[in-house]
Amino acid sequence: MLEIEHITFSYGRHRVLDDVTFDVAPGEIVAITGANGAGKTTLMRLLACLLMQDEGTVRLDTVNPIERPIRFRRGIGYLSEHCPLYSDMTVEAYLTYRVRLKGERSMRVRRRVSEVMELCGLENMGKTRIRLLSLGYRKRVGLADALALHPKLLLLDDPLAGLDVRQRKKTAALLTAASARAAVLVTGHEIQEMLGWCTRCVVLKQGRVAGLYRVSDYARDELAQMIERQVVSAEAVGEVAT
Amino acid sequence: MTAIQVIWLREVRAFRGAFSCGVPVAAFLAASGWTFVMMLRRNEGSVLQIQSIWGLSIAPWLPVLSAVLTMRLFSEERSTGMIDLLMAAPLRERDIVVGKFLSAMTVLGVVIAVSLVVPVLILPALSAPVQGTVRAPAFAATFLILFLQASAWCSAGTMISVLFRNQAAAAVSSLLLCSGMPAVVYAAILAWIPSVRAEVAWMPLLVHVYDFSTGLFSTAVLVLYVAVSLFFLFGCSKLLVCLRLRG
Repeated sequence: MLEIEHITFSYGRHRVLDDVTFDVAPGEIVAITGANGAGKTTLMRLLACLLMQDEGTVRLDTVNPIERPIRFRRGIGYLSEHCPLYSDMTVEAYLTYRVRLKGERSMRVRRRVSEVMELCGLENMGKTRIRLLSLGYRKRVGLADALALHPKLLLLDDPLAGLDVRQRKKTAALLTAASARAAVLVTGHEIQEMLGWCTRCVVLKQGRVAGLYRVSDYARDELAQMIERQVVSAEAVGEVAT
Repeated sequence: MTAIQVIWLREVRAFRGAFSCGVPVAAFLAASGWTFVMMLRRNEGSVLQIQSIWGLSIAPWLPVLSAVLTMRLFSEERSTGMIDLLMAAPLRERDIVVGKFLSAMTVLGVVIAVSLVVPVLILPALSAPVQGTVRAPAFAATFLILFLQASAWCSAGTMISVLFRNQAAAAVSSLLLCSGMPAVVYAAILAWIPSVRAEVAWMPLLVHVYDFSTGLFSTAVLVLYVAVSLFFLFGCSKLLVCLRLRG
């Protein structure tokens, strides 16, 4: 479904992604982890068409974002790291706006919005102003936005950050449910937790793929320790470099 | 609903409740009203017609209002991060730009229309024997040129707002561009190439307002404003593409 081949990206002279290659099949949840500055967010932004790679290709069901950007973007749902929302709008108004913006037909908009609000546990929050929501609910609204039009690929940048244990469990359940319809690519630092529900794990180290693990091939604790060691060594390298 | 309509509607609603819209609009109406009264008193007994006075009292304040209204269009999206969600949506850059531009133009159109209340409704009611009937075509022509000028300022302001995350910086920059640039370009042309003085005599912007208000239409002037607006809107959409290229 999603093919990422030899992606390279630099901010000026600073190379952030270097020859990144992997793919994601339908129904998979792939976790991307790594030390701060490893290139996780840059990779997500690149896949969300917010950046353009210097080299390499990305394809979603053979659609190249450079050749057919609108079609590519129609196939993705994106949750940004900071989960920005229009705080002056109510939850329902915001989701209606986003669904319309993504080109859903007028007659289906209301149905889509109520479906996705139910899915994300926002049924009772429809009339609440976004500025009054807690971080957990804001993330749910962002997730609802990303899920609204049943995208083929869900890109979730650090969706667990700042959430309490209960909210994390709910988010994990939501992602597992979403993976029935879409491939999910999720970044984060909560390795132990993510290994509980993801199918593969990609470790980024200074912009390169340092490890690519199929979760079912390892014992969870053993894999978590292995990944943590890789991340810690990357952090140490980063500290020496700075 | 098309993407342009969706963005337009959202922005118009955002304008309706925004402090950065209500206060500048009120200040604009107060300033232009004061200018109108002053010009009316100064030109008592002159041949200057009421629609010309109205147009000339509105035009100088339009760049200021346009700069303030357009400052938040993209800079607010950039500072809150909402620009990411807009750019990740299946939209063309030009749809985003046009939707936002049209929302600012809607507000400006309504404000210019509201400012018509005094010369069209109140003044004739107070001094009917002197003023006679209001000539709608003359006011329509004046409205047209003011709207075109507003469109040029607005498009410039929209483009400038893409460049900044800070709204105040965007407003000041577009104010400099809108108010300063035409004057500087005109003065520079006259200073360096005095021989073209006759050819560029039509350039001062208030002359356009006066000409249109007296029925002196010029296709060149119409084309000038439309071209300037399209130029800035095109530039704005290309700046968004650059934003996508380099983040």
